Amino acid sequence: MRSSSALCAAGIAVALLSSATACARAPRADDATVRGIGYVRLEEVVKKHPLYGQLAQIDSDIDALSLSTLPVAIPRSGAEFAQQTKELNDELRAAQERANGIIAQKQSDYQRREQEAINAAITAAGEKPPSAPAAGMQTTASAQAAAVATQANQDFRSYQEAVIAQDREATAGVTSKLEDRANRQFAQKANELQQSESAQALELASHDSAQRLALRTKLSNLALDDAARNDVKGQLAAIDRKELDEMTVVRNRDRATLNAFQSQLRAQTSAEIAKEVGAIHAQTQAKLQQRSSEVSSQVASQIRGLGTGSSAGLSPATQAKIQQIDAQYKAQFKTDVGKTIADYNETKKALDARFAALNGAATGAQGAAGRQLDQLHKERSDLYNQIVAQVQRETQSVAAARGLKVVFIDVVAPAGGIDLTNDVAKDVESLHE
Amino acid sequence: MKNRIAITAALMLAVALPPVALGADLTDIGYLDQARIGTLPQFVAANRQLGQAKAQLDKQFATAMRGAHSQEDQQRVVSDFQQRFLQKQRALLAPLLERARAAVASVTSSKNLSVVVDKRIVIYGGQDITQEVIDLLQSPAPIVPPVNTPAPSEIGFVDQNQLNQIPKLKSANDDFDKWQAQLQQSTQAQMAKAKNDDERRQILKTYQQTVSDREKSELQPLVDQTKSVIGDVARKHNLILVVDSGDLVYGGSDITQDVQNALK
Repeated sequence: MRSSSALCAAGIAVALLSSATACARAPRADDATVRGIGYVRLEEVVKKHPLYGQLAQIDSDIDALSLSTLPVAIPRSGAEFAQQTKELNDELRAAQERANGIIAQKQSDYQRREQEAINAAITAAGEKPPSAPAAGMQTTASAQAAAVATQANQDFRSYQEAVIAQDREATAGVTSKLEDRANRQFAQKANELQQSESAQALELASHDSAQRLALRTKLSNLALDDAARNDVKGQLAAIDRKELDEMTVVRNRDRATLNAFQSQLRAQTSAEIAKEVGAIHAQTQAKLQQRSSEVSSQVASQIRGLGTGSSAGLSPATQAKIQQIDAQYKAQFKTDVGKTIADYNETKKALDARFAALNGAATGAQGAAGRQLDQLHKERSDLYNQIVAQVQRETQSVAAARGLKVVFIDVVAPAGGIDLTNDVAKDVESLHE
Repeated sequence: MKNRIAITAALMLAVALPPVALGADLTDIGYLDQARIGTLPQFVAANRQLGQAKAQLDKQFATAMRGAHSQEDQQRVVSDFQQRFLQKQRALLAPLLERARAAVASVTSSKNLSVVVDKRIVIYGGQDITQEVIDLLQSPAPIVPPVNTPAPSEIGFVDQNQLNQIPKLKSANDDFDKWQAQLQQSTQAQMAKAKNDDERRQILKTYQQTVSDREKSELQPLVDQTKSVIGDVARKHNLILVVDSGDLVYGGSDITQDVQNALK
């Protein structure tokens, strides 16, 4: 009992002595080397904040993502982009011309074969084919018919180009709209999870506050021997570790949630893009087929108007036969041309994909990683600002108590002033309590 | 004393943290929220134009770099485009900055301040002159700068970019950057081959530790030495603190040259 009192008295004496020494050494706000100025080494204080673990984890995630991402492809220059666009346009135009050439050739073949079938039908019916002057007129009419077909094909090609341009524009618009929506949803989810993590980290720190305070009080007991002091420090470190481990579990779970959400968003967005783009392509194809059919009918009607295949002076039975032949060849022509248009559409689809890749519409892994990286940077910035705002609040009371007029952060080098780092760090650390 | 204003095109990037002057006596240290100045319509419009010009220059730069095969050619291209960007920046921002400079000088003089720094680095006390400066900038009248220079201040500043050009610092920084780029490349290759998350975590941990160790052994001694020299020079000038020139808006003592001489 006596020795305990003596120890206590000695402890108080040492405490008073060290306190007096500390007071004698501590610079005052009105010292010539202070002049009311203080500073805080912000990065040191940030490391003591309860949310620092979370900040470090985000830094680590940023490093991991940066290292996992393949080097970014060399960006295309304006000239290269223009050149590649031109090449793709040339390929598309060549495909159109090829398709149109085939259609024109088929049109001519079907007309010739139809005419031969009609002539054969007239001969078989024992009736007279058109007379010599009529045949001469028919040659002229055939030349006019060829001109009509050529003009019709040119018009069709212009229409085709306009419709394809609309198709491409609509596809790019839909893709961009849906991808933007997915990005917003992802950012919102990431933000929610980050806020929830911050709240949990603070809750965890406050849950252990009583135990932490008791251990700190023990540590401030000067009578503790080294072993007991190390034991208490070990217990404090264990609490820190436990909190960090629990938060790591939470963060890993959230990260997994976010990854799953991203995969789900990606799948959903891709499906929606495919659906909407499919609808646009189907509309385009329908428009082209309709126009092709209209052009064929129009050409046939104009050609009939020119007098080719004239059935004047023939018996009603032969005229009926001729109409039947005409309907039969038109149907065959339509089916045959449909195949050519389908082939062309396959080529166009492949070219569209290359256009999309050139314009960055395709959502590659690179783009997704970039967005995730941006999101992490934003999370980091928000969390860092939250920590700094807290540091600022703690600094105000410390600075006012020390009688300072102004306190700086991010100082390059101090030559005087009062360093408030330790005082503010202690207050920030006590946010755990 | 050299008057100095550093309102740059990057004003808008500064972090906004409102310093509170509760309990603090008035001081001759002022601060300006440069980020807020950057949001004034005239600055927004100029920055937008500058952004468009930069986007155009970036495209031309990429093309020019592809045509530059030797290192000399590439350096020439870089220098040429930097020059062109600076010219554009000057053309667009110089008149605005000139007016802002006059406004800050005028407010500083009327409030008897010795120095004005960016708001970002003040977390307690100081005099906020942002609103007065904005009021002056928004008024149609011409701004007449004061004839007198501010009183000597206890705050000094150094241009850290200039200090980083000192051969021994530049060489250390360049060597470190080169080494880190190589390490990043080899680590990326390892990450790509990693079979699972545990392996990736281990690779990342090793990478971070290696970078941190190298920073401590190669760069930290130079950083400490530089800080110590800056502190010594500052004491000789009877200064209390030294900040970076990027955070200094008006007034203050430039000790960059003295620090450079001491470091050589």
